[in-house]
Amino acid sequence: MDVFANLGIGFAVALTLQNVAYCFLGVLLGTIIGVLPGIGPVTTVAMLLPISFTLSPESALILLAGIYYGAQYGGSTTAILVNIPGEASSVVTTIDGHRMALAGRAGPALGIAAIGSFFAGTVATLLIVVAAPPLAAIALQFGPAEYFSLMVCGLVAAVVLAHGSLVKAVAMVVLGLLLGLVGTDINSGARRFNFGMTGLADGVEFVALSMAIYGIAEVAYNLEKGQQTSVVAGAVGRVWPSLADLRTCAGAILRGTGLGAMLGVLPGGGALLASFAAYTLEKNVARPPRRFGEGDIRGVAAPESANNAGAQTSFIPMLTLGIPGNPTMAMMIGALMIHGIAPGPRVMTDRPGLFWGLIASMWLGNLMLVILNLPLIGLWVRLLRVPYRLLYPAIIVFCCVGAYTINSKPFDLGVMAFFAIFGYVALKLDCEPAPLILGFVLGPMMEENLRRALLISRGDPMVFVQEPISLAFLLVAVGLLVVIAAPTIRRKREEALQE
Amino acid sequence: MRIRAPKDFWAGVMFGGFAVIALLAARGYSVGSAGKMGPGYFPLLLGGVLGVLAAVLIGRSVVLDGEPLPRFHVLPLAVIATAVCLFGFFIEPFGLVVALAVLTVLSAAAGPQFRLPETLALTVALIVFSVGVFVYALKLSIPIWPSGWPSL
Repeated sequence: MDVFANLGIGFAVALTLQNVAYCFLGVLLGTIIGVLPGIGPVTTVAMLLPISFTLSPESALILLAGIYYGAQYGGSTTAILVNIPGEASSVVTTIDGHRMALAGRAGPALGIAAIGSFFAGTVATLLIVVAAPPLAAIALQFGPAEYFSLMVCGLVAAVVLAHGSLVKAVAMVVLGLLLGLVGTDINSGARRFNFGMTGLADGVEFVALSMAIYGIAEVAYNLEKGQQTSVVAGAVGRVWPSLADLRTCAGAILRGTGLGAMLGVLPGGGALLASFAAYTLEKNVARPPRRFGEGDIRGVAAPESANNAGAQTSFIPMLTLGIPGNPTMAMMIGALMIHGIAPGPRVMTDRPGLFWGLIASMWLGNLMLVILNLPLIGLWVRLLRVPYRLLYPAIIVFCCVGAYTINSKPFDLGVMAFFAIFGYVALKLDCEPAPLILGFVLGPMMEENLRRALLISRGDPMVFVQEPISLAFLLVAVGLLVVIAAPTIRRKREEALQE
Repeated sequence: MRIRAPKDFWAGVMFGGFAVIALLAARGYSVGSAGKMGPGYFPLLLGGVLGVLAAVLIGRSVVLDGEPLPRFHVLPLAVIATAVCLFGFFIEPFGLVVALAVLTVLSAAAGPQFRLPETLALTVALIVFSVGVFVYALKLSIPIWPSGWPSL
């Protein structure tokens, strides 16, 4: 079987001492930042991009991936124990999870979150193993027209799922695409948008841009919000849920995993959307309905399974198509490009060790998380006492050192300061930064594919609707826009995205 | 004419500003044709789309009611942005230790609760950590001391 041969390659890479160590480091860091409120996976991955530069591409991706899914575990711990979601994707877990903790059932809540996450992680990893090769094979047939339409579709979907105003989100995408064009045009060699600054000859540095927005602008934004005081619920007690609990939750975990795995694949999806959708679904289908919102264990099991499944399957479009579905995946693409690897369907055939090694390490990482998390809960809770006033200067320091080391260019610090101010203003005006980052990563690829598609068709734009696959992508994009513009669904979307 | 949705209005102004900059800058690039695109084709297209979106935001903000403008806390942001720039200016002539000291103290001062002894301790810790991890463990080429000093 191909699947087993591939997994064999994967485990051979993932099980080297070095990569096991990076996987462990990744999930450990992920858990820590998952616990700490005010610092999320995107920020951490951005801060660690410069470090990953010094590693082999395999180790770099294994480390960064560990942070992303590790954060989903850590986020649930604080959500349950202190009613503070460490991550946005754990917001719904606070509803029933903290109620359980107050009722003295913190242990089983934490236990079921870990078990659900592990189960979901395993299923999602298997799904990647099965789904990725055929998807990549299809993607290899894509011409420039298909790629261009796919990117349009991906960006539209990301916009639709963003919070707040649709117009602002589209504007952020377009601005991101424009920023991606800064620098030397690869085709003509013309310098674009450098405003006489030699520092911009190679474009806006991705690391500086992402750290400015997700590191520094967010620090400035968080500083205004007062410190929250945390009240830790009583003793954690026995962590393993009872057999009755497990039986109650089996359905919830299965449904959460399925829904999360599906939503994770969508552009703009990933862990956040998955957890909200799973909670809503569970509330509607669970029998007997009992009392959601008052400490129902299924209210923990479903979203925690879903966010972990979503976190894993969001790697599928990134790995097979080279299209990032969310900002963390955009960072992964950035990491690949730093190593000179063009993301896309060829990664699987050209670098099987990288591809399958990453997937095998995801499963290993999930296993480590279960083993790591449950006994160390006391330690994580103590971490919560680190005040933000000590944490944020450290974030700024790592961002600055990172932005400098990537090219040893002091100019990049200026770029970072500029985009930090921009990011703050954008956050204040309710303009989500995620679409901007996705647009920035896709900008050059989109221009290149548009240029090639039109070159082949001799300037006839009909090529995008004549190719059936391209047409299908565009129809999906238009459909999404129409659907979102319809008033009833818009209301539903606002409800679903409300935090 | 009254602005009913200040948040949308100013977002529109911001995007409009970027669109104008993009269109003005891209004016000089050769456009080419659809079949043989020049370096100006895609930027002009995007600049135009951004301009339209900005106009929609501004137009909508005088018709539909929306949220008021939140308070902008300018000072902390300005201090942090300055600190980041200073780090860029200091890193090569003065080295990592000096640049980090300035950066950490200024960043900490931007927050609401500034305590000097605590900040000094944090500064020392961050310098030791950064030098240890970035320079010694990861072997990134960053100058530690002002150039000309004997290296340790």
